[in-house]
Amino acid sequence: MAKMYTLSNGKVVTEPGNKSIIYLVIVLAITSFFMLFIPIDWKAINFRNAGFILGQLFTPTSGQTYRDYFAFIVSTPVLNALLETIRLSFGGTLIGALASVPLAVLSARNIVKKPWIYQTARAIMNFIRTIPMFVIAVVAIFFLGYGILPGIAAIAIFTFGIMTKMVYETIETIDMGPVEALDACGANKVKAVGYAVFPQVLPIYLGYFIYCFEINVRSSVILGFIGAGGIGIILYNNVGYRYDRVGGVILLLFVVVVFIQSITRYVRGKLQ
Amino acid sequence: MKKIPLLHRKKYIITHEEATVERQLKEQPKLWIYNLILAAVIIFLIVYSFTDSQINLSRFANVWPSFKVMINGFANPNTEFLFGLFDADGSIDKTTIPYLTMQTIAIAFVGTIVASIFALPIAFITAKNVAGKHLSKVGEFILVVIRTFPEIILALILIRVFGIGALTGMLTIGLHSIGMLGKLFAEAIENMDRGPIEALDAVGANLWQKIRYAIIPQVLPDFLSMGLYRFDINVRAATILGVVSAGGLGTPLIFASNEWNWPTLSSILIAIILMVVVVDLVSSKLRAKLV
Amino acid sequence: MIKFINVDKIYPNGFQALKNINLEINDGEFVAIIGLSGAGKSTLLRAINKMHPISKGEVYVNGQEVSKLEGESLRMMRRNIGMIFQSFNLVKRSSVFKNVLAGRVAYHSTFKTLLGLFPLRDKKIALEALDKMGILEKAYVRADQLSGGQQQRVALARALAQEPNIILADEPVASLDPVTTLSVMDDFARINKDYKITIVANMHHVDLALKYAHRIVGIKNGEIIFDGPVSAVTESKLIEIYGRKLTSDDILGE
Repeated sequence: MAKMYTLSNGKVVTEPGNKSIIYLVIVLAITSFFMLFIPIDWKAINFRNAGFILGQLFTPTSGQTYRDYFAFIVSTPVLNALLETIRLSFGGTLIGALASVPLAVLSARNIVKKPWIYQTARAIMNFIRTIPMFVIAVVAIFFLGYGILPGIAAIAIFTFGIMTKMVYETIETIDMGPVEALDACGANKVKAVGYAVFPQVLPIYLGYFIYCFEINVRSSVILGFIGAGGIGIILYNNVGYRYDRVGGVILLLFVVVVFIQSITRYVRGKLQ
Repeated sequence: MKKIPLLHRKKYIITHEEATVERQLKEQPKLWIYNLILAAVIIFLIVYSFTDSQINLSRFANVWPSFKVMINGFANPNTEFLFGLFDADGSIDKTTIPYLTMQTIAIAFVGTIVASIFALPIAFITAKNVAGKHLSKVGEFILVVIRTFPEIILALILIRVFGIGALTGMLTIGLHSIGMLGKLFAEAIENMDRGPIEALDAVGANLWQKIRYAIIPQVLPDFLSMGLYRFDINVRAATILGVVSAGGLGTPLIFASNEWNWPTLSSILIAIILMVVVVDLVSSKLRAKLV
Repeated sequence: MIKFINVDKIYPNGFQALKNINLEINDGEFVAIIGLSGAGKSTLLRAINKMHPISKGEVYVNGQEVSKLEGESLRMMRRNIGMIFQSFNLVKRSSVFKNVLAGRVAYHSTFKTLLGLFPLRDKKIALEALDKMGILEKAYVRADQLSGGQQQRVALARALAQEPNIILADEPVASLDPVTTLSVMDDFARINKDYKITIVANMHHVDLALKYAHRIVGIKNGEIIFDGPVSAVTESKLIEIYGRKLTSDDILGE
């Protein structure tokens, strides 16, 4: 594959092969391999349904008006479910975030000197993080029954996994000066952490908290689907039957998410 | 007792320093009022989040016995399901765990690739330094809409079009990931170094040449890294989509969990965790090489 | 040949960067532009290839009026002018060879360049340019793995690959250490002498300008207040250009 060039002054240059082409071929090969696992039944494809459903999503069902459409969105059951979603997301995120602090501190190499402590802490954290939130939810439902309790638990554990990593990474990047200063004037380890580490980490910690909260609000829709509470259950009940309601709830979710995003952007701006 | 007139009391005449210190002290109280309000709001939110008739300690009484059942299930996994691959007649059994695991990864992989292809142009019209302020707002809006549409609902809709199975899963992931990938790609474009673009301007390049020789070589490694990151997440998402029969491990998962069939369920969970760990490892290794 | 006739440059906010510039640079000259930061050196330099368009007056390059050129004709004019930047402006993650080859894009159709199809001749030109700069052996190395001096040489090679008759340089050695600075300036001198390429360079360091250029143009507040051979430069003239005595900042030393 290598080409050779002879320059006018007689020197010969060998050009190495073009790696990009090789990479492209590899990617195409892997994709084709994976497509083997995705059977395509051309006859079953029905594009007309797509238009049909899309049309139903955002228009009132037959016999109803737009007023009815929007009335459903702001009706008590829906709003209650929405509030439930937000509550369980917030509560779960909060628990997870608070619980993550001790483990994060224990994983930070600049606070904990003994390798076996921070390595075990990190191992535990990595393990928890590999379990998809969905799986945690299913298991939680088994332990705690249906309702929002498993939802909160699942979100808490998931948040715990993410926050511990982000917090310990942040702790490792802080300025150790204040900690050393406090050590020098006789403060014990816990106090040193409280006074020197915490203030530096706090803004970033809050930033991650908000980031997790945003993600969790969205995933709680899925949790509702499998019975862990929230607005998902309304979607579940109406899919395949009343797409206008489904579309309405989607609009509501859209508004809520955008609203939360603007609040978080505002708060993040203030934190800077 | 002689009353000292106010004006003569020494304390009434304060020095300049004392005046500024006092002024500062006067401003302090306002700070703690804000803190108090903030604390009150947070406490209210916490209490509000947790007060619910569903949350009572008696629910936790069930945990230990359930735990024992679960561990038992893990100790006796359904090995036939876990390791079996072939049917009695020698063809590949499409409902076994190995096949479904590969299918889950396939859905995530192909879906991410599809999403990358479409996210690229949208990213260019979202990046403020390429598209300008107004066009980029349009791009951002499109991406936000795609991102907030719940994946599960998208899957359910696509099932009516493409039927149940992995194809729907792949297309759902493909469409939904455009939202996040588009945003990440746009950020990469906004963060790039303008120097090479200036140099190519001076050389006489036109817009397409600038894109090809100054922009793309800079952002391509970032794009690949983001694609891998998204692939990692999509493997988990693909599992979830199986719940609505869009292919992958989610399907047996939901069936087994409905019956609380722990032997089978545990095998599936083991497979899921292993799959995620492997994909995580591969993806981090590759991303490290891209820097 | 570069010619400025009564050139003004006024920014939208009212700031006048160039005032009544009249300047004639002949082929093969090595001109150094000196002056305080913000005096207008950059604006003047970039008016030559219309990277900064002018407000009034005319700029001629090789007989063509630059200020009137647009689109394709502008690009064709620019491909004959090489430009060197203080921060090199290489694509860090690409190989040295690809960076140099990028200098040839304006010579071919969009279609071919998009597919990366450069004719054999172009690839040889690129490699020979690298050879002229003495870094041929680095051709397939990633650009960011080279030292500062080497990177600027890659930039020079890119300019040379354009087969230009003019090279513009905007503070080309300001980011380099003293030793490398001298060797890169030596390269500029060599390019000017061996290949008869006109060089117009903004120089931050006065002693370098005096050492390497043939002619000095001094700018203050957007006006040319000195234009003459190096031999005509006196200390009082320098104080006039800079508005103050020179400090160690303005001199490379060594």
